[in-house]
Order: sequence, then C-alpha cells, then structure tokens
Amino acid sequence: MHSQSSPVPTLDQLRALAGLQGVEPTDADLEAVARFLETILPALVEIEARLGADVAPAGLFRDEL
Amino acid sequence: MIAALEARLRAGELSPREAVAESLERIERLDPALNAFLSVRGEEALAEAGALETAGERGPLFGVPVAVKDVIDVAGTRTTAASRILAEHVATADAETVARLRRAGAVVVGKLNTHEFAFGATTASPHFGPARNPWDTERICGGSSGGSAAAAAAGLVAGTLGTDTGGSIRIPACLCGVTGLRPTAGRVSNRGVVPVSWTYDTVGPIAQTAEDCALLLEVVAGQDPADPTTEPVPVPRYRDELDGSVAGLRIGLVAHLLEGAVDPRVAAAVEAAVAELARLGAAVERVDARFLRETEVVQQLVMLPEAAAAHLPWLRTRLADYGPDVRARLLAGLLLPGTAAVTGQRARRQLVERARPLLERYDLLAAPVMPVVAPRIGEEVVEAGPERLPYRLALIPFNSPWSCLGLPAASVPCGLVEGLPVGLALVGRRFAEGVVLRAAHAFQQATDWHERRPPPAV
Repeated sequence: MHSQSSPVPTLDQLRALAGLQGVEPTDADLEAVARFLETILPALVEIEARLGADVAPAGLFRDEL
Repeated sequence: MIAALEARLRAGELSPREAVAESLERIERLDPALNAFLSVRGEEALAEAGALETAGERGPLFGVPVAVKDVIDVAGTRTTAASRILAEHVATADAETVARLRRAGAVVVGKLNTHEFAFGATTASPHFGPARNPWDTERICGGSSGGSAAAAAAGLVAGTLGTDTGGSIRIPACLCGVTGLRPTAGRVSNRGVVPVSWTYDTVGPIAQTAEDCALLLEVVAGQDPADPTTEPVPVPRYRDELDGSVAGLRIGLVAHLLEGAVDPRVAAAVEAAVAELARLGAAVERVDARFLRETEVVQQLVMLPEAAAAHLPWLRTRLADYGPDVRARLLAGLLLPGTAAVTGQRARRQLVERARPLLERYDLLAAPVMPVVAPRIGEEVVEAGPERLPYRLALIPFNSPWSCLGLPAASVPCGLVEGLPVGLALVGRRFAEGVVLRAAHAFQQATDWHERRPPPAV
C-alpha cells in the first residue's frame, strides 16, 4: 500500500481507502489521521526493515514469557 | 476497605442491605461533584442485598457493594461505554466477571464512567461529561477507568472493576491515589465486555488497597471456557500470599523511566518507594531497559487496527456519533497499512524474547505509573520535567511496555506532589499477580500513602 519510504497518503488517497471499507470521514477527520500517520509510518518502516522473516507474530502460540 | 467491610458483614455487625444503603447514600451525596457513576442500580441493589440475607450461602464478598466500569455488562442495566452509540443499550446477560462477583456475594450498585469506549486516558466523555478527580474536582481522573478510580478514592463503593488496554486501570488508579491491578492478559475473562483490542484488553480491580485488589482478583480470575483468550492457569489464594514480606525479592528499577520526560518530584517519590522496599528486604538494582521504548509504537500498531475492526460496523453507520478524539484514533486504525498489525505482532514477539532475561533476573520491575500528576480538565499539554508534551503522548512510555508484554502491573500510591497522588508501578512475570500484590501489600503495611484520602469535601 505504501512505498519503502512510506510517505503519508494524501487526503484523497485516505478518503478512497476509507471509502473502500464503507467509511466516509470528513476532511477534518482525515487531516487528524494524516498527522498521526506522519509520526507512526516512519517507525513502522524501520520495524519492518529490522524484523527477519523468521519472526512469527505473537499470539500464535502460548509460550510467551 | 473490602477486607474490613467483609469482616463486619460476616460477623453480623452490618447487614448486606445496610452496607448497600450506606454506599448508595454516599453516591447520592458525593457523586454529583464527581460524575463517577453513569447508572446507579439503587432499588435493584437493595433488593439483591436483601435476598442475600435470606440465602444460605455466604461467598467471600458476602454483601460487599461494588461497581463496574460501564463497558462491563450487568444484565438489565445499560452498558453505554460512555458513548452516544450505546447510550440506550441494555445488557441482556452479565459479563463473566460480574457473574463471578455475584456468585461471591458482591452486590453491584452501579456502572462507572469511562473514556468513550474505553479508548482514551481522560474519562472526559463528550456525551456524559467528565469524571472528576476526588483530590481536585477541576482535574481529570485519568482513564479510561476514571469512574472506577474516582469511586474507589471517594469510598463510594468498597471496590470496583476497570479494564486496561494500554494503561486504563493503572493510570486512573495512580491519578486518584488508589490501588489498581492490570492482570496478565488471559487471566480474567473478557466475555461481556465491550472490546478495544483483543490482544491487550484485561479486566482488573481498582480499590483502596492491595489486599482489596487481591480479594477481588481472586473472585474474578480464572479460565472462562467460553472466552478463548483466557488460559487454564490455576488461580492462587492471593490473600494468603500477602505475608507482609518482600525479603528475597529481586526488583529492577527501570532507569530510563526516571529520566527525561518525567516530573522530577514524581521520579523522586518513586525512588523513595523503591528504597522503602529495599529497606524491607528486597534486592533492588537499576536496570537499563531502553529497548522497551519500541513498545510505544508496537502497542499502537496492534491496538489501533484491532479497535478499528471491533468498531467497523459503527464506523460505517455512526461515524459522526463518536467524540473527535476516539473517532480520530479509530480512523487511524482503519487507515494504517494492512500489514501494520501483523508487523506489530511480530515485533511484539521479538520484544517478549528480549524481555525474557530481564524477567528471569528480576521478580518485579518498578517504575513510575505516570510522569505527571493529574492535569486539569481540558489541559492537553503537560510539563513532564524539562519537556512540554501532549498528555496522551506523555503517558505512553510508562504504560505501553507492560501492556505490550502482557504482564501483570499494579499502581500503588506512593506519594503526593502538590497535594496530588503519585503511583508506583510494580510489574511481575506472567501470571505472577500474587508476587505483585505481595510487594504492594508489604509496601502498604510499612507506609500510609494508600490511607491518605481526598479533601474532606469528598
């Protein structure tokens, strides 16, 4: 959905994504989402780059700690 | 409070109906200033208390008046989640935790204010009004279980249940000067509770003391065959573990949470509390656990999409009925990349592995619950030491680690700053709630912070 540098989608792109899921936010809603995505998407990209393919999701097993 | 009340009830010095009537009188007199309750079950509670008096069985909470956060179902009573969307929703069955409370003899006198849909940390619902902090009614209670903490602090009921996804038991317990315990994920049934995030949601006690929390947890904990998120781990008799001793316990004081964006007076109170635990016989070391900072993002990556999934039908049909802050967070969850939640869960597994040596070395970790005392209602930016930052961001580094790792974590009153409560976080290994409660109880046997009450008006 996003490129490696994970730019924040435009409001039109966000509106389209929401619409595909049957949700119709206002411009003000989407501006708030975009501000949040500006902070979290770079962190997500960093984590994606660091995780090896051998790391399975938590919650699949009952052997945690 | 529960322990003392339960002893009087068992001795016949007080009847269940009298205990419930006292609670209802305090609610009627004090709650208009607090707005802790969204529903009061006055007549039903008195009738249920009366029925207890003629019943043969006397459970461990016989006649004890309690209240639950208004995301937890009580049959025949509204579960509003402090939302417009569920404002008229009446539950048809008890949540499993409520059923267990009732079987133990407790009487549910009402439902408690919460951040809308338990998805925020102020309990300032735009639909039902803010819950107010008994220590200063111009200040927030924290959240999302703000009504639970306010009711416990003001003695409106003997004990309460809250829920905790990213700090929602610990934060309000801390800001209101009471004791709260987020149990291990999987320890307590979530059946009959409005969900935020299936990975992180937990139900747990908020009350005045660790002993009270032990009594409540012992009743509600344990596998629920109808809730697949609960685990078949035996429930100890927590109260029996409260021997007043921390001798031999190894405690790691999380160093990075005492530096940076934290009020130095809060950090000093927490360090003094940990020094008291050391004086009582615990072996304390400062630990470098900066890797836990990654939990701040990982928590969000998992929680937000899960919350969006839980709310998707209403996002489609009732979007305008959410308050602005909750709507923004739910939409953020909806519009994160589809891989975010999976990446978050993979990172969470790695964090669990990285934390394993720490939890093998220490029985408990200690830290501040919050970096600041309760902000004023409507105050969105706080001064946390040298930094000014949004309240909602300031609390994340202190609460996300323990949610993300699924660990039991308590908030224990440990000081006052400008007359407002400070909380010590005690974090245990998975399913080691007994150790957490034992240390909290030992601290409360040696100090009186938990006995400090809000000003006389409350």
